[in-house]
Amino acid sequence: MTIDRQKLIFLDGAMGTMLQKKGMQPGENPELLNLTRPEWIRDIHAAYVEAGSNIVYANTFGANRRKLEATGHTVEEVVGAAVRNAKAAVGGHALVAVDMGPLGELLEPMGTLTFEEAYDLFAEVVKAGAAAGADLAVIETMTDLYETKAALLAVKEQTDLPAFVTMTFDENGRTFTGCTVASMARTLEGLGADAIGLNCSLGPQQLLPILQELCSQTWLPVIAKPNAGLPDPVDGHYDLTPAEFAAAMKDAVAAGVSIVGGCCGTNPEYIRALHEAVKDMQPGQRTYAEQSFVCTPTNALTLDGLHVIGERINPTGKKRFQQALREDDLDYIVDVAIQQVDAGAAILDVNVGYPGVDEVAMLPRVVKKLQAAVDLPLQLDSTNPAALEAGLRVYNGKAAVNSVNGEEKSMAAILPIVKKYGASVVGLTLDEAGLPKTAEQRIAIAQRILDRAVSMGIPASDVWIDCLTLTVSAQQDQAVETLKAVQYVTDVMKLKTVLGVSNISFGLPNRMLMTQTFLIQAIRCGLSLPIVNPNQKEIMDAIAACRVLSGQDGECRAYVDRFAGEVASKPAAAASSLTLDEAIIRGLRSDAAKLAKDALVNETELQLVEGHLIPALDKVGVDYEQGKAFLPQLLGAAQAAQSVFEVIKTSLAEKGGETVKKHRVVIATVQGDIHDIGKNIVKTVMENYGYEMIDLGRDVPPEVIVKTVQEQGIRLVGLSALMTTTLPAMEETVRQLKAIDNPPYIMVGGAVVTEEYAQRMGADAYAKDARAAVEAARRLLGGN
Amino acid sequence: MLDIDEALRYLGASGADEALRQRMASVARDAESRFAPRFTYRVSGVEHRSEGEWLSDVQLLLPGRSARKMLAECSHAAVLVCTLGLSFDQHLRAMQARDMSQAVLLDTCGSVLVEAGCDAAEKEIAARFPGVYLTDRFSPGYGDLPLDLQAAICQLTDSQRRLGVYVTPSMLMNPQKSVTAIIGIADRPQRARIRGCAYCAMKDTCALRKGGHSCDD
Repeated sequence: MTIDRQKLIFLDGAMGTMLQKKGMQPGENPELLNLTRPEWIRDIHAAYVEAGSNIVYANTFGANRRKLEATGHTVEEVVGAAVRNAKAAVGGHALVAVDMGPLGELLEPMGTLTFEEAYDLFAEVVKAGAAAGADLAVIETMTDLYETKAALLAVKEQTDLPAFVTMTFDENGRTFTGCTVASMARTLEGLGADAIGLNCSLGPQQLLPILQELCSQTWLPVIAKPNAGLPDPVDGHYDLTPAEFAAAMKDAVAAGVSIVGGCCGTNPEYIRALHEAVKDMQPGQRTYAEQSFVCTPTNALTLDGLHVIGERINPTGKKRFQQALREDDLDYIVDVAIQQVDAGAAILDVNVGYPGVDEVAMLPRVVKKLQAAVDLPLQLDSTNPAALEAGLRVYNGKAAVNSVNGEEKSMAAILPIVKKYGASVVGLTLDEAGLPKTAEQRIAIAQRILDRAVSMGIPASDVWIDCLTLTVSAQQDQAVETLKAVQYVTDVMKLKTVLGVSNISFGLPNRMLMTQTFLIQAIRCGLSLPIVNPNQKEIMDAIAACRVLSGQDGECRAYVDRFAGEVASKPAAAASSLTLDEAIIRGLRSDAAKLAKDALVNETELQLVEGHLIPALDKVGVDYEQGKAFLPQLLGAAQAAQSVFEVIKTSLAEKGGETVKKHRVVIATVQGDIHDIGKNIVKTVMENYGYEMIDLGRDVPPEVIVKTVQEQGIRLVGLSALMTTTLPAMEETVRQLKAIDNPPYIMVGGAVVTEEYAQRMGADAYAKDARAAVEAARRLLGGN
Repeated sequence: MLDIDEALRYLGASGADEALRQRMASVARDAESRFAPRFTYRVSGVEHRSEGEWLSDVQLLLPGRSARKMLAECSHAAVLVCTLGLSFDQHLRAMQARDMSQAVLLDTCGSVLVEAGCDAAEKEIAARFPGVYLTDRFSPGYGDLPLDLQAAICQLTDSQRRLGVYVTPSMLMNPQKSVTAIIGIADRPQRARIRGCAYCAMKDTCALRKGGHSCDD
């Protein structure tokens, strides 16, 4: 459906406010009134149509399975009745939307509802709405872009209905989850929304600046459905009269908004006044600049200069990374990501393709794990279209795909996925004929990829071209061809270019000089998205310098900060007298890692652990018990020990040996409990005593813990509970674990757990803190 | 500026050395610049019924002895929800992946900040009703006041829409740094039952105190 942006469309006003007036009691389920009070619902819809609404929202805002569960009614029943009530009331004089609000539960990683579950819940509602004859689907009052994506995908995949999507923004221009206007606009536009906008949250005056920004971030029609001003907290009344509301909405229309209505506190009088006030207006002219853009909800990245794509999340040639993939150690991958964030990457390339790894399952897991910890847009890198689709599906925001190439087969497989999920895509300039020899051949392939992408509705700004770096020592003539192609794609085709640069220097001495020189030349030709190892200082130094020369780094500020800091910190390298034990005790991570590397020259990995690491940790542990050191210091030491462990693991992985881990321990926060910092503290400390911690996360059902213990032959389980309301879940977990053959030891802890509780529920140990957990584990398992 | 001593006390590290105190101060400064507590509240008349304290305008019943004692002299009560928001949780989660030691400092600062938000809400309420006296603020879970009132309080303040505050089926607040609370409003000075005698308007004349007791015993 294409909606004329010049034509005003009038939506309705509040449903809840009207139902309260009709006599709905506090706490009553509003959607059930579709069945019990159909005449109320029809009256309300009819009053809005009479006031000028062209579209009414059926009373289905909260009609999802979770919220209806307690009522004994099905989604089909309630949504069907709601849509039929609306259709009967409007009598063909207005369109009827099936309306979907938030599910009332937070999605992962903030809550525990999975993306897939959210999708299923929305799919039920929208299918029921379509079956009952709804004309369009509305997704509204959203604050989480992830939940919004689940809902929009459900509409697009399960029905043919047009989709209107509105989110709720705060005065600071963000939703409660921190989503920016640009991230919302470009993500939803990419996913195929038909109109987007804002509803609820504030009054029209407060929303105006946000609406103005939205109008500049999208070519879609923009919706405004604000509240009747701000509520008085004392009594809950909204402060704008219908006339004041209507007057303020004129500014929104002048800003380019073309779809208007009201939310909380409005009624048919507001819609009538709004209709009168703006019906003869022409929505204001909007200016929209097409831009290359990727984002997470909170990090909107417009690609208008030089930005680094970090290449380190990739197992190729990295034994330690391969080991992490084999052992399902996703924390390691997060660490690799964090290092690149700190080193200045703007986008992270994510490649988990390795023999024996099921990429279709692994890529979405890694995407979720990374997005919970780092706030950079991701570039999903795979040759497997099914893996790319699985990854893009669960990505929160607008991602990039690496890559498509000029082969017919590749374009046919990859571009439809890119289009469906609104991603950007790297177009690799090679095809059936293999590697091109000249710049002209590269350009021709780039043009072919671009034409095909645009013909499928992918904006040109979302196509980034990789002109291919070949090894200069093997094919010396190709470096110039690559650079020529980069220049042409930038200047003539006006596209962003991507280039993995380090390949240039393969097989040569002083590789860094060659790579750096090529990088600088490519940037001069227009390269905008170099794919590099941001942990290499020389590379990032060159980029910092290039940003000054191009004017991107205003007043050389970033450059000065980068190098001024370096000079100042040099004298601090007086760490020569520092011992490994001291470095661990003082929580000096990088010093500890460096000293561990040095120590490995003369000592074995095991000597390092038993001779330095454990004694140092014990020293801090004793200080902690005696109140001389505190939790941050205990954890600081644990983390320094962690960096030593990382050195040991890398050393062993290089030798192809086994890890030094001794016992495997399952740790979990029990079902119903979502606060997990305590569990994470225990995990951090125990890991550094050599325990291999299998972290099942939070809100973990007893069955999952039992299954893990049985499948992996676990001898010790640590359980955490924070609230009195979740103690029964802990007891149940203990009961189930003790009922299996050869039951594991169980230790319990958490804010509300006491020694007595622990004994009563049959646990083998009570750990009042992380240090006590280590002691308990030593006692129960022996050793370490 | 966030109270560093208070934060160290929350962490159980009142004996912290200067280095740890400095770290806490730096985390606190950063947290304050990123996160501001937000709150919403409703004010209701109170009826002292046999089944409990009935907040008639918001239709909320507070059963039990604790609420009775706190609201005994009150004609009105404010029902409050305050939160630091989900972006704090996101930041804390990212910090846990990066540096657990810093994360526990941040977690503590979050607790102090949300309490400061409750103080600000209390000030606003006091300003809206000049000439009256407020009781100490108390929350579900205090004494015998049921924890599951959190859900009802969030519903009646529309906290999901207004603040992005959710209550899970096991009565946990999400975002983590969220508080629900009740503040009684009376026309005569109220005892500081929770904050303690040092804060109480009656401290100089209190018979209980002279007898070595307090009204919260």
